[in-house]
Amino acid sequence: MTGLFKRLLEGRFRISAQLYFGIGGAVALTMGASLVGWFAFNKVGDSQRLVNEDSLPEMAAAFAVAQQSGTLTAAAPRLTAAATPEDFARVAAEIAAERDAFEARLAELTRQGGEDERFVRIRAHGDSLIANIAAIDSSVAERFALAARSEALRAELAAVRSGLVGILVPAIDDQLFYAMTGYRNLGEAPVPRDRHFSEVEFDRYRHLAELQADATIAIQLLASAFNLSDAALIEPLRERFEAAAGRIERRRSVFGATPSQDRIAGAFERLFRLGLSEQSGFNLRASELGLAEQQRGLLGRNRSLAIDLVAEVEGLVSEARTSAEDATEASTEAILTGRRLLLALNVVSIVGALLIAYLFVGRVLLRRLERLSDRMRGMAGGDLETRVEIGGHDEVADMASALEVFRRHALEVQRLNLVEKLAEELKDKNSQLESVLADLRRAQDQIVMREKLAALGELTAGVAHEIKNPLNFVKNFSEVSVELLEEMQEVLREDEVQLGDEQRELVEEICGDLSANLGRICQHGERANGIVHDMLSMGRGGGERQLTDINRLLDEHARLAYHSARATDPNFNLTIDENLDPEAGQIEIVPQDLGRVFLNMVSNACHATDERRRAGEDGEKYEPTLSMATRRLDESIEVRIRDNGSGIPPEVIDKIFNPFFTTKPTDQGTGLGLALSNDIVRQHGGTIRVESEPGEFTEMIVDLPLSPPSEAMADGEGEPEGASRGESLGEEREQPA
Amino acid sequence: MRAAAASLAVLAAVVAIDAGETGVSHQRILFGQSAAFSGPAQELGKNMRRGIQAAFAEANLQGGVHGRQLELLSLDDAYEPEAAIANTRQLIEQEGVFALIGAVGTPTSRSATPVAAAADVPYIAPFTGAAFLRQPIWSNVINLRASYNQETEAMVARLTADLGIERIAVMYQDDSFGRAGYRGARQALERRGMDPVAIGVYPRNTTAVKTALLDLRSADPGAVILVGAYQPVAALIAWARHTGWDPVFITISFVGSNALARELGRSGTGVFVTQVVPFPANDTPPVVAAYRRALAAHEPEAAPGFVSLEGYLAGRLAIAALERCGPEVDRARFLESLRRDGLIDLEGFELRYGDADNQGSDAVFLTAIGSDGAYFPINTLREAKMP
Repeated sequence: MTGLFKRLLEGRFRISAQLYFGIGGAVALTMGASLVGWFAFNKVGDSQRLVNEDSLPEMAAAFAVAQQSGTLTAAAPRLTAAATPEDFARVAAEIAAERDAFEARLAELTRQGGEDERFVRIRAHGDSLIANIAAIDSSVAERFALAARSEALRAELAAVRSGLVGILVPAIDDQLFYAMTGYRNLGEAPVPRDRHFSEVEFDRYRHLAELQADATIAIQLLASAFNLSDAALIEPLRERFEAAAGRIERRRSVFGATPSQDRIAGAFERLFRLGLSEQSGFNLRASELGLAEQQRGLLGRNRSLAIDLVAEVEGLVSEARTSAEDATEASTEAILTGRRLLLALNVVSIVGALLIAYLFVGRVLLRRLERLSDRMRGMAGGDLETRVEIGGHDEVADMASALEVFRRHALEVQRLNLVEKLAEELKDKNSQLESVLADLRRAQDQIVMREKLAALGELTAGVAHEIKNPLNFVKNFSEVSVELLEEMQEVLREDEVQLGDEQRELVEEICGDLSANLGRICQHGERANGIVHDMLSMGRGGGERQLTDINRLLDEHARLAYHSARATDPNFNLTIDENLDPEAGQIEIVPQDLGRVFLNMVSNACHATDERRRAGEDGEKYEPTLSMATRRLDESIEVRIRDNGSGIPPEVIDKIFNPFFTTKPTDQGTGLGLALSNDIVRQHGGTIRVESEPGEFTEMIVDLPLSPPSEAMADGEGEPEGASRGESLGEEREQPA
Repeated sequence: MRAAAASLAVLAAVVAIDAGETGVSHQRILFGQSAAFSGPAQELGKNMRRGIQAAFAEANLQGGVHGRQLELLSLDDAYEPEAAIANTRQLIEQEGVFALIGAVGTPTSRSATPVAAAADVPYIAPFTGAAFLRQPIWSNVINLRASYNQETEAMVARLTADLGIERIAVMYQDDSFGRAGYRGARQALERRGMDPVAIGVYPRNTTAVKTALLDLRSADPGAVILVGAYQPVAALIAWARHTGWDPVFITISFVGSNALARELGRSGTGVFVTQVVPFPANDTPPVVAAYRRALAAHEPEAAPGFVSLEGYLAGRLAIAALERCGPEVDRARFLESLRRDGLIDLEGFELRYGDADNQGSDAVFLTAIGSDGAYFPINTLREAKMP
């Protein structure tokens, strides 16, 4: 046994087998719980059946009997209250139906409860009640019969009275008339007075009157008997009626043998029969009153019987209620037991399922699978060094050993591939970088070329003007020199012989002027030559560093920019204010490059002022002004170029040195000017700063280091006097003396 | 048969709805009558019906009133108040009559009037002079004839004025009808500062009038006003004359003139009867001749009489009111048409109504029984006494 168990324990179990075991265990527990629940509900059902089959029908039957007994109890007074025989028949039929229903209920109740003592009593009470109602029924029927007779009797009485009145009243009327007048019949003569006006006739009249009075009394007595409600009072009425009848009997003879005798006799006979016979009105009334009394007794008995019956039925109902309550209690108890059982089973099932989950699935399967998964994640993350070690005899163990083999292979392959892969990647990156570099260079060259072409274009107009200007000077001074020579020849022709002091002075003065003119012609010629030279050198690009007069460079390029601007817009105007430090002297720079820087800056200034002018904010007050200043510092030369143009908004001031940034319309600027300027200045080891107030001014500050320090050279020729006077360049005129 | 009746009823209902007022259709107008056609008062009921039908037939022959034929539906109440109530209800609720006409008798009218008033049904020309029907509260009642009070007033006026009699006695039946007449006579006497010199009563449904005769005779009145049924009245007159006592006897219209004359026979000569319609054999006013023509056309064998003349006048009154309504007839308009213009002239018999006056005629006519036992008209009592 132990061996088998051990073999089983050691043997190989597939995961499916393990799961079957676990789920089978849980199902077995659930089946057990259901069985117990079924058993418990069976018990509840039994209790409920007890209530349904025993107590409820019993209660219902008891209630039905109670209800029916109430209806029956109320029936009897309805019977006696019936006003007409038709009403009575209808009520009687209804009561018969009620009685049948009551008996049916009672029978049903008896069937329910067997020969219970209480049922016997209820049945006895019920029977008594029914018998009593039957008695009332017959009594009421009798009452109606009596009432009919009574009605007939009264009608007869009325007829008798009317008959008696019809006979007695005319008889009295006739008798009185006869006694008084002696007339008996129409058409007959009256009898003699001693015959009619006699004691006999008046006695007869008196007897007739008494007869009528007694008849009236007898009729009234009989009539009033029908209104009596106390049977005891009938006898005195009967006694008086007998007395009246006696008197009538005695007086009847008064009619004698008259024609009315038979009629009156018949009427009196009927009256006596109504009052004195066995069937007399008095007896009839007595019977009616007796019957009413009997009915009252029956009704009283009916009430007491009903009370007894209702009391019994109430006892029955309360018994049934008690039994129903007992059944309900038992049912509740059963339900409670079932509930407890179910609860306990639920707890056992849940604990069992948890244990199965924990022992089988959790400990044997999931935890090992988790470890396997951890190892796989570790290997995926690069940890190939740790061994895969999971015990057991199932698929998890198989997977673990397979993973271990895979791990070893992967470790080797990884090591082999690593170096080769790295080298390959480096080569790729290198070639990529090289091609990018080549692209960059090409782009740079293109940019520079474009910028040069742009600058050249801008310069062309300015250069033409610049060249025209010195040539004007040359032309003017040449013409003046010709005139001077002619003048001098005239002087010499007029006074060939002798030159007075005054004339000599004049000639000398003319000669001096001529010398000066020629000097200027020479100067301006050189200037034109320089311009062309500059232009050529700019086109060429990339010049050599050489000592250059910074003030001169600035001035020339400022003029170039100015004229370029004027050439494109005749309305353009600008006042240039120069404050150049004579100490600035010469500095070693690439003049073409730095010239482009100044050209660019001044050109920007022209544009800014023009923009402000066009905006027209200040109307005519606005005077476009460009201030240029140089200053020699300890280690550097500072160049300031300031305009009162539209300024630079603060949000873009950091971007102005970025390539391709421009605020000009797309066809007017490349956005490279300041970027290149910045590059050029930095190549010279200098810096560019900018200060600006939107709507007020922009100032570019260029710092150029003095390296090597150069000696300031005196410029003997210099500018004409106006250069430092802030004279407008556009009005430049240099008059020969 | 029943189906036919039902469909007729439906048809009648449809027609009635069509015309807007109960009992009125485009083709006809239906009147109802509850009266005595059996029992002691049957002569009164039959003659009222005869007169009304004569008037309706006369109008229908001429094309009806505004194109509508007049019809009369009569039910028998045998002079019983309970039957009168049942008939009135049936006529209003089941037969759907437009108006009630020609009822007979004080107790029956007294019972039927409230039923008709509750349904706002016109109650035209009842054959009674009872004072209660003349009260203005009965807005639906249209009386034709003069009241009992007016008859007794006329009696006293004529007795005192024409004959100069100042000692006047009254004999009446000891019940509500007799007492009503007695009260009227007594008031008429009191207005002239007189009292009845003697009063005689007799029990209802008897002819025991001799005691009353003794009472009356002892005061020796010049005239006796009689309010009672024809038999006792006839007995009293016969016995009085038999015993040699012959004052002026004058009695009221309701007595049943022809029956009285028949009962009295030869001893009736010189007895006066007041009437509320003209003498039927006369030629004036012209309506009487018209009445005789209509009666002859409608029922040739019938003899003219006071009651059927009153019936004829009742029919003519209804016709006159309908003519005044125009083609649009309803009950309110019908009643209003009579009150509106006061005077209605039925060929010389003038009726006059007002807001508080529902009695058309105040006329009281005198008749006397001649020696041949037949009535003849008189203008004063004196001219009858002359012969």
